[in-house]
Amino acid sequence: MPGERKAIRKRIVLSNTNALSVQMEDLEKETLTDRRLIGSVVGLPENVVDSLRAAEAFRPTQVWGLFRRPGVLIREESVVLGEKLAEAEETKGSFRMVIDGDRISGKSMMLLHAMTTAFLRGWIVVNIPDAQELVIAGTEYAPIEGTSPIMYSQNEYTANWLGQIAKANNTVLHGLQLSQKHDLPIPIENDMSLVRLCELGARDKEVSWPIFKAFWSEITAAGRPPILVSLDSLGQVLQTSMYRDAAYKLIHSHDFAIVAHFADCLSGKNRLANGGAVIAATNRSHDPISKSLELAVKQSLEMKQGGKLLTKRDPYEKKYDERADRVLQGLEILQLKGLSKVEARGLMEYWAKSGVFRSRVDEKIVTEKWAVAGNGIVGEIERNALMMRI
Amino acid sequence: MVFILGVSFHESRLVKKCLETFYGIGHQHSSQILAKHHIFPGAKVGSIPSKTITAITAELSTLKIENDLRRQLRDNLQRLKDMGTYRGRRHAMGLPVRGQRTRSQISTARQLNRIERRG
Repeated sequence: MPGERKAIRKRIVLSNTNALSVQMEDLEKETLTDRRLIGSVVGLPENVVDSLRAAEAFRPTQVWGLFRRPGVLIREESVVLGEKLAEAEETKGSFRMVIDGDRISGKSMMLLHAMTTAFLRGWIVVNIPDAQELVIAGTEYAPIEGTSPIMYSQNEYTANWLGQIAKANNTVLHGLQLSQKHDLPIPIENDMSLVRLCELGARDKEVSWPIFKAFWSEITAAGRPPILVSLDSLGQVLQTSMYRDAAYKLIHSHDFAIVAHFADCLSGKNRLANGGAVIAATNRSHDPISKSLELAVKQSLEMKQGGKLLTKRDPYEKKYDERADRVLQGLEILQLKGLSKVEARGLMEYWAKSGVFRSRVDEKIVTEKWAVAGNGIVGEIERNALMMRI
Repeated sequence: MVFILGVSFHESRLVKKCLETFYGIGHQHSSQILAKHHIFPGAKVGSIPSKTITAITAELSTLKIENDLRRQLRDNLQRLKDMGTYRGRRHAMGLPVRGQRTRSQISTARQLNRIERRG
């Protein structure tokens, strides 16, 4: 069967009946910013799990399949992020953030946490699960008529994406109805719900991009809930894509309508009028190296730490991307490091309770695993405590 | 079944590979044709609109491919022979053309070098 092996590879198992059931608190709207929970693993509520799954927030590389039900570790950074999101909702403001950190330091999980927070708070979540899919020339593309310079739409991806958005935000979008007049290629009812609008776009890929634009103008209209726009693997969309234009030149990824839309959100050009956040996570495993991103991250951290710019732009470096630079200006960076020992212990106790970590969790073993894992890089702890059998 | 330049292809075949079945079109030309019509490299023949197929067929018919290209090759060899050049003679005899030794290892030349060369 075509696509069968890919389906197996990308399959996400969220429950394992062999694992022991662990008594844990469910994450709720009230406990999102609760500092008491730092270092403990909390369960994800069932309706949020459905939404997260629809939004493809779970990645096949994460080990959800070892446990009875999905739970996340609350770490210091997640509470900080939760507080920022709460503040954005209250003040109707918005922030733009890039989550960066070493390999397997939990960047995608932080994104998942942000999405969980957004779902619990009743936001609209627009997630691009893997930016790679947009730029590696794996999905169809077509120039959009009447654009100069030419922009390209990716109709099949957009249609699928609209379907995901509709499914993930079903409850919120059901309550929202069209409030504006739209000039669309297909006739629509004036008072249809936004879920219905997304579904129309998902069904007919030819009109998916105009429908997404209409959907966006609807959700940014006055009186709508805040929006979380998120993307994983930022490095992929900061340079030329692998698509070619009619003259056989490589197309820059920002010439694609979806990517350009996200880039405008990240640069602050597309304002989120009802508040919200734009969060992108980098990927240190298979993203292409983006010199612009490296520089932006470095400079942003220096400004945050010392308030003084130490790293200057390298005048001899040719690989900076001008269009990426414009997007990355003045971004906030959330730098993920290793877990603290308290957090590591909380995580390991959860593993032990689930029956997958067969050893006593004491000071000694926590310190050992923590140290071996490069001072608590969470994926490394998982590797040497959970995956490795000696 | 989809017809490109009079040849039928199954819907599940890649457009790029279908184009490369024509004599004279390789990776470079097929990629350029795909780019010109905004078709991504993984596209299957069945998934692209018939308008695009017609456009591709129209474009292919302007190119020197298949029998035209084979004829050109034969004409070139015939010209060499008619002029009485050494290269023409060697082609006609089915021997190496560019000064290789003939004591051993000339199977490729035996196979290919002839005036009525296949392609």
